[in-house]
Amino acid sequence: MTNANSMRRRYLAIWLPFLSADRLRAQDPERRTAGSPPEAPLAFAVRVKGALRLAAVDAQARRLGIVPGLTLADARARQPDLVVADMDEDADRHWLDSLAQHCLVWTPLVAVVPPDGITLDIAGVEHLFGGEAALAEQIEECFSKMGAMIRFATAATPEAAQALARHSFFPPEDERQAIHALPVAALGLDDTAALALRRAGLKTIGDVAARPAAAIAARFGAQAVTALRRLMGEERAPIEPLTNPVPLHFERRFAEPVGHKESIAACFAELLREAAIALAERDLGGRGFVLTLFRSDGERHRLEIETGLPTRDPALVLRLFDERIAALADPLDPGFGYDSITLLVPLAEPLTANQLGFDGEGKAETELAELVNRLSVRMGADSLRRLVPRDNYIPEQAQLALPAIHHPAPVRWPAPPEGEPPLRPLFLFDPPQPVEVIAEVPDGPPHRFRWRRKLHEVRLYEGPERIAAEWWRRKGGEHPGQGGLTRDYYRVEDVRGRRYWIFRHGLYGEKPDPRWYMHGLFA
Amino acid sequence: MVYARAFRVSTVQRFAELAAASNYSFLRGASHPAEMVWQAHALGLTGIGIADRNTVAGVVKAHIAWRDLGGEQSGLRLAVGARLVFADDTPDVIAYPATRHGWGRLTRLLTLGNRRAAKGNCTLFLTDLIDHAEDLLLIVMGRDKGTLESLSAARPGAVWLAATMQRDGADERHLIEAKRLSEETGVPLIAINDALYARPEARPLHDVLTCIREGVTIQGAGRRLLVNAERHLKSPAEMARLFRNCPQAIAATTDLLPRITFTLDDLRYEYPHEPVPEGWEPQAWLEQLVREGGGVLFPDGLPSAYQRVLDEEFALIRTCNYACYFLTVHDIVRYARSLNPPILCQGRGSAANSLVCYFLGITPIDPVREKLLFSRFLSEERNEPPDIDVDFEHERREEVMQYIYRRYGRERAGIAATVIHYRPRSTLREVGKALGLTEDVTSRLASTIWGNWGDDVPESRVAEAGFDIANPTIARLKTLVDRLLAFPRHLSQHVGGFVLTQGRLDEMVPIHNAAMPDRTFIEWDKDDIDALA
Repeated sequence: MTNANSMRRRYLAIWLPFLSADRLRAQDPERRTAGSPPEAPLAFAVRVKGALRLAAVDAQARRLGIVPGLTLADARARQPDLVVADMDEDADRHWLDSLAQHCLVWTPLVAVVPPDGITLDIAGVEHLFGGEAALAEQIEECFSKMGAMIRFATAATPEAAQALARHSFFPPEDERQAIHALPVAALGLDDTAALALRRAGLKTIGDVAARPAAAIAARFGAQAVTALRRLMGEERAPIEPLTNPVPLHFERRFAEPVGHKESIAACFAELLREAAIALAERDLGGRGFVLTLFRSDGERHRLEIETGLPTRDPALVLRLFDERIAALADPLDPGFGYDSITLLVPLAEPLTANQLGFDGEGKAETELAELVNRLSVRMGADSLRRLVPRDNYIPEQAQLALPAIHHPAPVRWPAPPEGEPPLRPLFLFDPPQPVEVIAEVPDGPPHRFRWRRKLHEVRLYEGPERIAAEWWRRKGGEHPGQGGLTRDYYRVEDVRGRRYWIFRHGLYGEKPDPRWYMHGLFA
Repeated sequence: MVYARAFRVSTVQRFAELAAASNYSFLRGASHPAEMVWQAHALGLTGIGIADRNTVAGVVKAHIAWRDLGGEQSGLRLAVGARLVFADDTPDVIAYPATRHGWGRLTRLLTLGNRRAAKGNCTLFLTDLIDHAEDLLLIVMGRDKGTLESLSAARPGAVWLAATMQRDGADERHLIEAKRLSEETGVPLIAINDALYARPEARPLHDVLTCIREGVTIQGAGRRLLVNAERHLKSPAEMARLFRNCPQAIAATTDLLPRITFTLDDLRYEYPHEPVPEGWEPQAWLEQLVREGGGVLFPDGLPSAYQRVLDEEFALIRTCNYACYFLTVHDIVRYARSLNPPILCQGRGSAANSLVCYFLGITPIDPVREKLLFSRFLSEERNEPPDIDVDFEHERREEVMQYIYRRYGRERAGIAATVIHYRPRSTLREVGKALGLTEDVTSRLASTIWGNWGDDVPESRVAEAGFDIANPTIARLKTLVDRLLAFPRHLSQHVGGFVLTQGRLDEMVPIHNAAMPDRTFIEWDKDDIDALA
């Protein structure tokens, strides 16, 4: 094991250049190939200041010149068959963490270097695996089995090892020389400093090291000097090894197996109170709670709930668990009794005391949030959704239905003009339903229409509301006649006083025989 | 299935579109002024009014297109004016001058707004309009009771309220509201389509202009774009059909038109009087100066050859009435040389062919000795005023310009504008950005292709740059850029082209602040000025 007083330091750095792509392929192999050839290049997009940009690519894409930083439109312009996925930094981080956990096999001192690196302190352990080279081989093989492509390097400091892994291409004969040959990007400074260095004619670490430290500090800041010293091995900073964060974990063990519902319930309530105190101490509120019941014969029952807003109210959590239990297909069978019960709070968020104070508005919101919690727990998070507006003219695209529990904040809708009937119906058909209509050409409203076999006479109408198609979504849409069909919407009221939203799909100039559809119903 | 019955029109409809913007409404209008005029003629409109946002920069081009169609004989009437956009809450008001005097009021109003604001902007308030409203016919583009009442009071009988059919689902409702307001205020309704382009096919280009203006991409623009493509010029039959519940609004357009007796041909250029002393006629003064100049060069009397040439030149100048040109230039040159130290200046180009210029000291070359032909410089057939180019010592040009401003006053001297059009590189960048492409890609395209080949891009060149013309994004970019390249982008001052007038310059054409301090320029460029005067 590592001797803290040992002067010899050795670090092995791992870099995953295609972390996102490898993760996606490992976790979701079908998605990658569905509908696209397996050799199709893959890229991940994220929204930066209103434009969709590539945040990560796979090896194939990189070979074709698609690099992170390009906008999606650009990338598509170069590579029309590019497969694009959404960048998921959380999933990437979790995968990196789990890979790092694996590294504990080789040494207890493992550090994660976000977003795509892992550093191992291997001083004193190489001999256990047959030497540095053999250890490196084992690591590479293991990672490859897990689906991750890595580049690695060893050096006397963690920073140098990471820099070598990222910037040098061949295992160095002479480590010192290799470090000197590294580009200045290895210092890990921000873009302006890096640019300044290049402008000053300093291209490699060796160039920078040759200058007096005072000059470097004056021109590029103290962090440049520190980074340099760490690379050169003149300064040592130990890595911060992984520590499993102490989860919020509460347990009760029983001397004798317990089978009585009331006893279990009482025990659970105690656990919740303990959790509430612990959460309060840290100014946290739980958003996920996991209750596990261990049967004496080894079987486990696991119940999980999540909430929209953080909470540490035992009564609330208890109610939600009641919902969860009530929604189970089979009732919980304690068998010969439970040996222990644990409560885990895997997800917690900041919740300060003043957030808990209610005023009139706050209370209504909290009640709504609670209702959302209960219904989501009962029916599943995806089953309860709320509508969120989108900036779009096309009616069926003007809103999104998102899981309510993930969008607890109140939503602002554009307000309709005062004193006028609503422009949009409450209810939209998906897809719109065909209707037969009698109307004057070219833009007269329906006089009469047949829907679901019933004939309706129109008494009142408003319209047309003319909504043109989004020409930019179609190939060649900028040319006349290729931009898609324009819809004319009419709000009509029949003799019975019911109001409908009907549209003609296409102007008479655009299509010889346009069809009519029922798109929605007003209240 | 649809059972339909066509709507029949029994009479030939008469309708004029009196709210048409051109691409001189920068980044809002998507058609050239000439295109608007041609399309209006093709549709059989009775008339068209070109009104751009706080500017009349485009009206001369519309006027030229109208003249080329036959002018009065074409059957189309052209009204020129401006769409006044206010800095307070007043809705837009379209103003058409009915007379020459009205035109002067409009241009002074625009000058006032321009001079108050930084370059490129115009700040106007309703009170400004009320102060300058004489002889203007006004169309109020918003249903604002206060504005209607104020303007009605200032210009009774010359105010209309615009009624539009936006196809926003509430057209009848808006029309009822407009009728009610019209009755309350006594302001008649006028049917307007508020055209931003000539044909509906211009919608994609118009959307791209909106993206450039708002700084967004087409995918992210959302409801900043217009919802439909209705803002094009519509035929009289179509407009009559749309306004069948309000035929008086249609008739109002043809009521308004005959009240306009002003056309741009009425703008007559008058020379400033300064270079001519009291009691002299310009021609006579010119001949006097020339004789004096000649006397210095030939103290023993003019040789007969020279006298002959001089007589010819004088005759021609007298016939064409060009004396003032020479006098004005001479005045400036004389001033420049009178300074201590004198500013170096010299005439060049075809002016060197003129003996008059030689004797006046404008040019240094003796055309008779060098056997240069006067007709190369000026001839009756050409019907163009003489182009006397004088180069001034570069570092001291400013002194000359300030002299001109001082002598003639800021009100009567202005620099001609240059219209800066979209250049290939900048257009590619802006359209590319609007379509969601990065600087990277568009700069590469720009540097290899459009930069060197002007408007048309051979497809082989596109391929050479590493881009596939079949790629739909690239093809779309090319289509839109080709269209936008011919558009005006903004006005700037012409290098050295001054316009001097006898009357107030700002009663002829609006004046703008230039970017440089103490500089102002007018809205029309050299071509416009030549076309009119």
